[in-house]
Amino acid sequence: MSLPKEAYQALQSLVGEENVSNDPVICEAVRGGCAGINVWDKDVISPACVVLPKTTGEVQEIVLIANRYKLPYYPTSSSMHVIASARLPNTIAIDLKRMRGLEIDDKNMFAICESGVSSVELFAEVTKKGLWCMVPWCGGQASVVANTAVHGTAPSLYRFGFPHRRILATEWVLPNGELLNLGSASLLRDYFWGEGPGPDLRGILRGTLGHLGGMGVVTKMAVKLLPFQPERMEPMGISPVTALKIPEKRMKFFNITFPTYERAVEAIYEIGKCEIGAMVMIIASLFRYVAKARGKGTAAFWEEWSKVGDQVDWTDTFARVSLIGFTSEKQMIYEEQVLKDIVAEFGGKIREGRPVDESQFTSPDAISSFFVTGTFHPPTLVFDSLDAGLKTARRNVELRKKYKGVLAEDHGYPGWTFSVELGHMCYYEFLCYGDIEDKESLAKLELEIMQSDIELGGWPMFQDPNLLGPAWLNYHKHLRSLKEILDPHNLSNPPLPERLPWNVSPETIMKKGD
Amino acid sequence: MRLEDYAHDAVACIRCANCKWIDQNYTRSHRFSKVCPINVRYGFDAYSGGGMLTIARAMLEGRLEFTPRLLDIVYKCTLCGACDVRCKRNLDIEVLLTVEALRSKVVQEGYGPLEPHKTITQKVKQTGNRYGSPNKKRLSWLPEGVTPGQKADVLYFVGCNSSFVQVEIALAAAKILKASGIPFTVLPDEWCCGQPLLTTGQEEAARGIVEHNIKAIEVSGASTVIASCAECYQTLKVKYPRFLDKKTEDMSFKVLHITEYAGQLVKSGALKLGGRANLKVTYHDPCHLGRLSEAWKPWHGVFGKFSIPDPPREMRRGTFGIYDPPRELLRSIPGLEIVEMERAKDQAWCCGAGGAVKDAFRDFALWTARDRLEEANLTGAEAIVSSCPWCEENLKDATGDNGKGMQIYDIVQLVANAI
Repeated sequence: MSLPKEAYQALQSLVGEENVSNDPVICEAVRGGCAGINVWDKDVISPACVVLPKTTGEVQEIVLIANRYKLPYYPTSSSMHVIASARLPNTIAIDLKRMRGLEIDDKNMFAICESGVSSVELFAEVTKKGLWCMVPWCGGQASVVANTAVHGTAPSLYRFGFPHRRILATEWVLPNGELLNLGSASLLRDYFWGEGPGPDLRGILRGTLGHLGGMGVVTKMAVKLLPFQPERMEPMGISPVTALKIPEKRMKFFNITFPTYERAVEAIYEIGKCEIGAMVMIIASLFRYVAKARGKGTAAFWEEWSKVGDQVDWTDTFARVSLIGFTSEKQMIYEEQVLKDIVAEFGGKIREGRPVDESQFTSPDAISSFFVTGTFHPPTLVFDSLDAGLKTARRNVELRKKYKGVLAEDHGYPGWTFSVELGHMCYYEFLCYGDIEDKESLAKLELEIMQSDIELGGWPMFQDPNLLGPAWLNYHKHLRSLKEILDPHNLSNPPLPERLPWNVSPETIMKKGD
Repeated sequence: MRLEDYAHDAVACIRCANCKWIDQNYTRSHRFSKVCPINVRYGFDAYSGGGMLTIARAMLEGRLEFTPRLLDIVYKCTLCGACDVRCKRNLDIEVLLTVEALRSKVVQEGYGPLEPHKTITQKVKQTGNRYGSPNKKRLSWLPEGVTPGQKADVLYFVGCNSSFVQVEIALAAAKILKASGIPFTVLPDEWCCGQPLLTTGQEEAARGIVEHNIKAIEVSGASTVIASCAECYQTLKVKYPRFLDKKTEDMSFKVLHITEYAGQLVKSGALKLGGRANLKVTYHDPCHLGRLSEAWKPWHGVFGKFSIPDPPREMRRGTFGIYDPPRELLRSIPGLEIVEMERAKDQAWCCGAGGAVKDAFRDFALWTARDRLEEANLTGAEAIVSSCPWCEENLKDATGDNGKGMQIYDIVQLVANAI
C-alpha cells in the first residue's frame, strides 16, 4: 500500500519529514489493537503512513489533504483501542501524541487539554492546586480528550458523573477539515463552559458510544475539575506493587460484606441518597485473586483461583466504599458514621481498609486484569440502573454456562459493578477469560449477551450501533445521516460511528448499510 | 537469543501504552511523566516497547523485511528496561528480552550490528578492550598495594572505562576496598566484560570473551566479584548466566556492585566515613544497577490454553534492583543531603548511553542525558551522582546549558573522599 506521492509530499512539507513516515516498519507498529489477540482485531492492516501533527492547524491540513486525495484516516493518541487501527488501504494514521498543550484554570476549575495529554498528567498537575479529575480504569496513560469523548469509566464516576458531563468548550476538526469551536470557545475563544449559542453539538461527540474518530478529530477539550481534599497522597512501593499512601483523616476505604447481591444494591442506593462517598463499587472475587497474583505471574493466579473451586459463596457480596473529607475532617467523620449506619441497616459487615490505594486514584489499571490470560473479553458493558445491572448479572451467569471450555472457569461469578452519579446509574461488566483460539465462539457469545440484555430491557452500551439500532429506534440511521453530512466522502475512520469495524468486512466498510 | 522464543510475548501486547509512561502512582508532573527516551524523541509508536513487540510479531509472521529504518529503531533503543518494568506491573510480557532478541535476529540474518558497533567489536576481540588500547595498559592505574593475580576471596572487576578513561573511579574504588582492610585482587588479564557485543545481539562473537573472563575469575579463586561499573556488574551477574543458560545463583562466583559491598562494610564498621561533604546531591539510578540487575532465571516452557505457561514462568520485574544500597551509602557520608528526582529507582529515566546507543547515535544519547540533567536541576541539587562510569561520562558530555554548573560524580568518588 502506498499513498499518492503528492499526498505524501504534502504531508512532509506540512509537518516536516521527521514527523511523517510511510516506512513499513513505522506503519506496522501501529497495526492491531487491544487485548492481545482478540476478536476485535479482525481484518486490521497497517496504515499507509503515520503522521505526527503538533498543532490544530496541522491536523486541519492533514484532514484537508485526506479529503483532497480521498484517503481514509483515523486519529489516535495513547493508542490502546483497536478502533484506532487501519482497515482500508491507503489509510493515514494521525498520531496526536505531540499535541501536549495543557492549561489549568484552577480558579474556575477547568483544564484545557490537547489530545496528547494523559489523564494521570492532568491528575498530577491539578491535585497540586487542590483539585481533582478522573483517571480512567484503562489507566492513567489514556488521553484525557480521547477518554472523555468515549465515556471512559472510573471508580470516581460515582462522584464526578459521566465523562460527557465534564466536556466543556471543545475544539474539533470536522471530517472536511473545517474547524468547529463548541461552547464558550465558539464566541469568546474562552474554554470555561460547554454550552454555546444554539443547539449543543457536543451530542454528536457523545451518544452512547462516542464517535470514535468517525466524525473528525477533537484536538482540544476543556474538562471540568472538582475540588479535592488538600493533603498530598504519597507514592510508595516498587513496581509491580506501587501505591499511594492516603491521608487518613481525609480519606478512607471501607470493605463491606453484604449477605446478598440484592442487599448490596439496596445499600448502594441508600449511600447515594445520603450523598456520601467518593467511590462505591461491588468487587468481584475474581478481581481479588487477580490483585493478589499481580506481580507473581499468571500461574500464581490460576493455582489460587482453581483452589477456590465452587467454595465461593456468591451470595456474599463484597463492596468497597471510599470516603473523602473533601471539605474537612468533620465531613469525613460524618460520612463514616452515615456509612456505618447504612451498612448495619442492610445487614452488612464493615471493616476499614488499609490507608493505601493501589488501584483507584491514579492507577485504576484494569490493564492488570489482562495478565491472567493475556487477553480478556468483556462482552457485557451495561450502563443502567443498579437494579437492571443486577438482573443482567443473574442472566449472564446462566448464559455463560453454555460456553464452558471456551471461557476459563469463573466459578459462576456474577460480574462487577460500580455506582455512578450517586446511585443514578451503574456500570456493570463481567469479565470473561476466553480461549483466543476460538474467536468464533467468543464473537457468538458477545452477540448473544447483547441480545439478552436487550430482551431484559437493558442498556448495553459500547455495542455496535448497527446491531443495537433496530432495537433502539434505528438510531444507527441517524448516525449515518450525520456522517453523510459531516463526512461526505466517508473518510474519517469508517465505518464509525454507525458500525463497529470488526463486525464489518473490509469490502463493505465503504458501502452504505441497510 | 532466538526471536522465536518470544513469539508469545510479541503477540501478547495489548497496546495499553504503559511502556511509555512512568508508574502512575509516581507521576508528579506533566513535564516528567514519560519514561521511554526513544519514544519521546522520535514520536512514532515503532520507537517504543509496544511498537517493537508489534514489529517482532510481524517479523515472525514474515510481514517485514530488514530495512534501514528497522535497524534504526532496534539500535536506537537504549535497552534501559523502563518499558519492561512498566509493562510487567500489569502484564506478563518479556518486552526487553523481545527487543534484545530482535537485535540478535538482525545479527543472525546478517543485517547488524551497525558499523560503529562492528568497530568496537573488532577492538574488543583484537585487544580485549573496547578502546583498542594494548590491554597490558589496563592496569596502569593500579595504586600501590594492589597485586594482580594475588589470591584473595574478593576480586575487583574494573571494566574498560575505569581502567582506561576515568581511572579516578578505579582509584576511588580501590581506596574504598583497601580502607576496609579486606584483601582483594584484580585480574592480571581482565578483558572487556562483553557488554558491547552482548547488547548489540552478537552473542556468538562474545563467546570467547565470556569464557575467558569466567575462567579467569575461577582461576583467581575469588568467590565474590565486585564491580564499580553498573554495566560490568549486570553483564557478570545477569548476562553471563543467561548466555550459559543457567541461574545466576548457580554461577561459581557471586557478583556485587561496590555500593552493595561498601554498604555492608559501613554497616559492619569495617569502613568508616568521617569526612564531611557539605553537598546536596541527587542520585541517578543506572539502569543496569537498578531495574536490570535482578538475578537471571532461565525458563523453557510452553503456553497452554488460556496462555497459561507451563512450567510457571518467573519474571524479572525490576522489583529487586539495587536501589537502596547506593542511597544508604550516600546517607552515611556526613553532611551529604540527598534529594530525589521525579523519576527515580525503577522509574528512572535512562542517561542515554545504554544499549550501545552512544556508540552509534551520540546526539540522541546526549539529548537523553540533557533531559536527565534538567530533571536533576529542578531538585535544587548541586550535584548528580551515579554509580556507573558510562552514566557519569554521558552526563558530563551532555553538560551544557542544561547542566547549569551542576557537578557530576561517580558515587565511589564521594565515598572515597569521605574516608
